[in-house]
Amino acid sequence: MRPLDETETTTVFEKLFKFTGNNLKNIVENPSHEGPDPGPGRYCFRLHKNKVYYVSESLVKRATNIARTQLVSLGTCIGRFTHGGKFHLTVQCLSLLASNAKHKVWLKPTSEMSFLYGNHVLKGGLGRITENIVPGDGVVVFSMSDVPLGFGIAAKSTQDCRKLDPNGIVVLHQTDIGEYLRMEDEL
Amino acid sequence: METPQQQIQVDLGNLMAFDPHHSFPSIPSSREELVKECITKGTELVQAIANSLFNLPSTEDIDGPIVQLPRPETKLPRQKHLPVPKPPTKWETFAKTKGIKNRKRDKIAYDEPTETWKRRFGYDRANDENSVPIIEAKENDVPGEDPFAKRREDKKKRVEKQDKNRLQNLKQAAKIGALPSHVQLAATRLPITGTQSAAKKFSKDELGNVAGIAATATASGGKFDKKLPGEKPPKHKGKFRKFLPVVEGKGKQSQEKEQTDKVLNKLISKNSHEIFNVDKAVNMYNVRKDKKRKNKPGMSSSTLKPKKNIQKKPLKKGSSSKEKGK
Repeated sequence: MRPLDETETTTVFEKLFKFTGNNLKNIVENPSHEGPDPGPGRYCFRLHKNKVYYVSESLVKRATNIARTQLVSLGTCIGRFTHGGKFHLTVQCLSLLASNAKHKVWLKPTSEMSFLYGNHVLKGGLGRITENIVPGDGVVVFSMSDVPLGFGIAAKSTQDCRKLDPNGIVVLHQTDIGEYLRMEDEL
Repeated sequence: METPQQQIQVDLGNLMAFDPHHSFPSIPSSREELVKECITKGTELVQAIANSLFNLPSTEDIDGPIVQLPRPETKLPRQKHLPVPKPPTKWETFAKTKGIKNRKRDKIAYDEPTETWKRRFGYDRANDENSVPIIEAKENDVPGEDPFAKRREDKKKRVEKQDKNRLQNLKQAAKIGALPSHVQLAATRLPITGTQSAAKKFSKDELGNVAGIAATATASGGKFDKKLPGEKPPKHKGKFRKFLPVVEGKGKQSQEKEQTDKVLNKLISKNSHEIFNVDKAVNMYNVRKDKKRKNKPGMSSSTLKPKKNIQKKPLKKGSSSKEKGK
């Protein structure tokens, strides 16, 4: 377990920034009320075995008691670094992204299951969409009852979506909560 | 050849032969003659050794026959004088005056807590007080004192005291010169001679590192320097990867926070142009103007001018591409 160095921090933040925009500041400066300390602590990012964790500082202090080889996980895993040095977000960071998302997409109940099996979001399944989405932006996918289902990358801008045919892809699938079942042992 | 060989005594263990009955028939007049005589006698003796060597049972090898030499018979005098007996230690003198005698104790002692027999000293020893997990409180206990810490401290003190005594005894022995050479070497590094702390000794690695730094401390960074024979390249080129501490103390300004803030600010300022959405602003402006016009239909020339302007603006900017997309 160690803090991220500067390049790693930049890659992680750039990825999160795609999804949250300026709300990234909320994630970084989120006060934590864990642990016995009277004042609020901070949340920080820690790298452990290629995975990046979003942990409160008080938990980090306690985790130092555990040897590196013995430590399995701490806090919330938000993603992992690939061997090539890229950063991939994982499902566990969904709640973090959902509460700070900049671009959102709501799915019709009929197409929810399709998305949860790992398919892209089609125009036909689109319930609502936030404005000003540019292709390539990170988008968080919600059900109509505002339950976060996953996230992906926008394939079309909001304007283009209006004139898209129903089978056109709107959001490219990255992660969905179905992975908790499908990829249970990888997470 | 036969008669002299019987007189010669051969000690094969030392590869040595000598003739106890030899005497010069006449004292040689000159030095050369003496040397000559000695050499002839010497060859005789060596021949005797060689003869008896080849009589020994041998095993064949690629390099030739190999024989096992018997043990040496001749007692040679020792090179160095006998070692000086060590002076008695302080305890030994004390024990002598009090009549205390050493008694041997068994290596193995009975361990009561586990009811087994264990070694008296060392790892996993019998009646080890360190393995007692609970210490009963006594009436004379000082409140606020940790009995476990006290136990550890006491042990440390005992060890220190013993070490001090040992040094003192070594000092006494060194004065007389009763220490063997290797101990003396070690003892000079100890604070016997009055210096308070032992001189710092550089380890091989440290010296190597310093040499590596010195070798690269030239204008070319050591690139064009001639290497000395046997000189190794510096072990660590450049610096190690350094990471921020995993946990920071409360007092300091958090380095990690500084770093994240720096990265965050850079990221936000890089994307600050996206805060102002041109399309959206133009849309809003159009909508507002439309509303104004609807509310006041009786405007003629003054409304026309801004309207022209409005239509120009979107053509210039993003909306033109929108039109094309349509």
